[in-house]
Amino acid sequence: MDYDVVVIGAGNGGLTAACSLAQRGVKTLLLERHNVPGGCATSFCRGRFEFEVALHQLSGLGSDEKPGPLRHTLSKLGVVDQLEWVEMDNLYRLLVSDDLDITLKADRVAAIQTLQERFPAEKDNIAAYFDLVYQFCVELITIYSSRDQEATPEKYPAYFEYALMDTQKVLDKFFSDPLLKMAVSIYWGYTGLPPTKQPFSDMAMLLFSYLELKPYHLKGGSQALSAAILEKFLESGGEVRFNCGAGKILVEDGRVTGVVTEHGETITTSYIVSNASTISVYTEMIEPEHVPAEQLQRLGGSTVGPSSVTLYIGLDCEPQEVGINETTNFLCTSIDMEDAFAACWEIESHDDYTLVSCYNISDPDISPPGTSQVCIVDLKYGEPWLTIPPHQYFELKDKVASQILDRVEHYFPGFREHIEEIEVATPITHMRFLGTPGGAIYGFDQYAKDNNMFTPPRSVIKGLYFAGAWAGMGGFQPTLTSGTTAARQVLKDIKRQAGVKI
Amino acid sequence: MSISEMQKMINGHARIAEELEICRKYGIDYYSQRGKWTRAVEKYHPRRLELRVSEKFAENADTTTLRLVSTNGYLPPFRAGQYINLFVEIEGICTSRPYSISSSPTQTAYYDLTVRRIPDGFVSDYLLDKVNAGDVLTSTGPAGHFYYSSIYQGNELVFLAGGSGITPLMSMIREVTDRNLDRNIHLIYGVRKPQEAIFHEELLKRSQRHSNFIYDLAVSEPEAGYEGITGYIGADLIKQQMGDVTGKTFFICGPREMYSFCIPELEKMGVPGRRIRRELFGTPTEVTKEPAWPQEVKADAEFTVKLARGQVIKARASEPLLIALERTGIVVENCCRSGECSLCRVKLQSGKVFQPSGALVRKSDQESGYVHSCVAYPLTDLEILL
Repeated sequence: MDYDVVVIGAGNGGLTAACSLAQRGVKTLLLERHNVPGGCATSFCRGRFEFEVALHQLSGLGSDEKPGPLRHTLSKLGVVDQLEWVEMDNLYRLLVSDDLDITLKADRVAAIQTLQERFPAEKDNIAAYFDLVYQFCVELITIYSSRDQEATPEKYPAYFEYALMDTQKVLDKFFSDPLLKMAVSIYWGYTGLPPTKQPFSDMAMLLFSYLELKPYHLKGGSQALSAAILEKFLESGGEVRFNCGAGKILVEDGRVTGVVTEHGETITTSYIVSNASTISVYTEMIEPEHVPAEQLQRLGGSTVGPSSVTLYIGLDCEPQEVGINETTNFLCTSIDMEDAFAACWEIESHDDYTLVSCYNISDPDISPPGTSQVCIVDLKYGEPWLTIPPHQYFELKDKVASQILDRVEHYFPGFREHIEEIEVATPITHMRFLGTPGGAIYGFDQYAKDNNMFTPPRSVIKGLYFAGAWAGMGGFQPTLTSGTTAARQVLKDIKRQAGVKI
Repeated sequence: MSISEMQKMINGHARIAEELEICRKYGIDYYSQRGKWTRAVEKYHPRRLELRVSEKFAENADTTTLRLVSTNGYLPPFRAGQYINLFVEIEGICTSRPYSISSSPTQTAYYDLTVRRIPDGFVSDYLLDKVNAGDVLTSTGPAGHFYYSSIYQGNELVFLAGGSGITPLMSMIREVTDRNLDRNIHLIYGVRKPQEAIFHEELLKRSQRHSNFIYDLAVSEPEAGYEGITGYIGADLIKQQMGDVTGKTFFICGPREMYSFCIPELEKMGVPGRRIRRELFGTPTEVTKEPAWPQEVKADAEFTVKLARGQVIKARASEPLLIALERTGIVVENCCRSGECSLCRVKLQSGKVFQPSGALVRKSDQESGYVHSCVAYPLTDLEILL
């Protein structure tokens, strides 16, 4: 065998998988079709700006004193100390037409207080809801981190009651004001499904994690993280080939035997960790006769998640000049979150919710003095974009961007007048650069049925493993973690094959 | 009790397990949809285009337009102002050059590339002298960021063109006039001598026919008795031709020297940076004359470049690393050849290169030693990772 393991794709999951394996002495080759590591954890330049592509609020990191699970994962790889992390004070500012303007601190007591001041009629329910979120998360963490063999509904009542309930049901149980429901659940945009479709465990963990461990950014953006992990991989003897995508995965008798690169070179290996989507792997990279029907059927049970229209903008003024005072801002024109989700299926931007991230608030070095960098995101499914006649694409792209900017202008007057650079990415752009089905940014839609509990990323094909958004949830923390999980599974199997007792 | 046994006790578990079974049974057949997304992207961003020269016509004494059609009948849409990177094989060397599309984006039956002969131009000589109607060439898809954006650039546009820098602006002028778009364009086209102007007759005609397009030709080396506008395109000339520039957006395309002259002139007039768009810098004609060039390194100095897997090649100080690689038959993906698009990025493991101003290299790339090989000039022996 040329390599023990070949990792396909140097996105978050591929990088942490490759690095963990190399650090344990496994002979690992990392293949990447682009010329730098990172996947969407990267940046690009326009004029005097270097735009962060994907990272908004890193979850799960925590501080030195109070480390979160992601800090443990990254510490093991040896990349935590060399990076400069920036803690954010606030969760978000939520603006809903003229009805609501609320900013929540990344602190349980303060967030509750702010909500209670704005919604005094539901004061007690607010406290009770946060109690539930905390109780639920503590139970969940206890069960899974201690691998409690005796976990029962009596011992962990919140977990067993709410884990698979949809967020909306829980919100309805606690609150009556739709604005309040929005104020505590607007993070649904970070996982892609609205409260009626999102499992409560996803919502609760997201909120709990940001409140307890704070949201983070890092100096140099997500590319600094990708570059750091790659360096550690190389230091540990890992090999990388850039400008070299994987074309085919070779399978014999139900077992992985190698990879053929896009340039036609065959590389033999017994294990593959794919950061490329399960859809690409099973429908394009492996010859159909080697893909069991069962595998395709499993795949068919999940739907491709949303992509986005993203506006990367450089302003020629400080953020405060246009009224931006928070890093993370959600702008909503309607209080109906279902309508907002339905709008993700439309090309144009009418009822969408818009995320406006301005990194300068927490990290002034992100752009030259006197300027600001703003990233604006509307979730959009990729499918409708396939129907656009090519000759109408650019006009439509500009139109949608303009609609989004009209919304931004409403809340931040003068914004448009200060634009110095703008790059618009549509689902087609994301398909191009990420190579994912539908240009999806979070992998599959994350309904309860798509949770690893029901849909573990295990393959019927021996030696084939997955890391990244398509192997679980999307977002930085889940994808970075998925790589080390995949690496652990590969190692376990290597040892089993070698007859080593684990 | 195993984890999965435990999970079965969660409220709603059986219902969701059943949902999953149903979703799988009547689920999506991803196999039958394979390739769908890739095909969608290729409509806009094909990795390569195969183009046939359908016609070749002279624009003036040293400028010719190549009209290119697709061999498969489909050309991607483009934005007026964008370019394609044209690949050629000359004397056994595979190289490429970016050329702006000069035709209007209102149709994609063909792309026109208008090529001016440059002294000792390896590729322009080839395109003008050796390529004929019927020949097939390959290129990248349309690329580049020098285009008008209705999102924030307003309706009052000023185009400053120098020499062959008229080509991307010509596409924009053709689009606005052909479609009668609600945009006003004032073009100042700078040339040394009047006969160097490309598209002069057409520009005149379009300016006569369309009240929203004004055309001024500015001649810097006029013969005695020349009655038109004379001089370089600077603050004075701009003021004289259009008066107030408030709220106008400037598009500049020309040789490198033009940017370093015009942009400060505009800034002097109070035009904010956000209202100045410029095309790619290109590469310096003589890199050793760049202000920051280390004088101890002579233009003809030759260095060795060590590649992964033991290969060693020669590279001259005066030539970008990308060209040294191309001379030895090593293919590095590239597109803008001006230090901006980052496709030709390579990792420098040891040694030093000179990077002229204008290269857009990311902070993280600077820290980990990545350079854009199209504008990286060797100053010492190098070791690189492709």
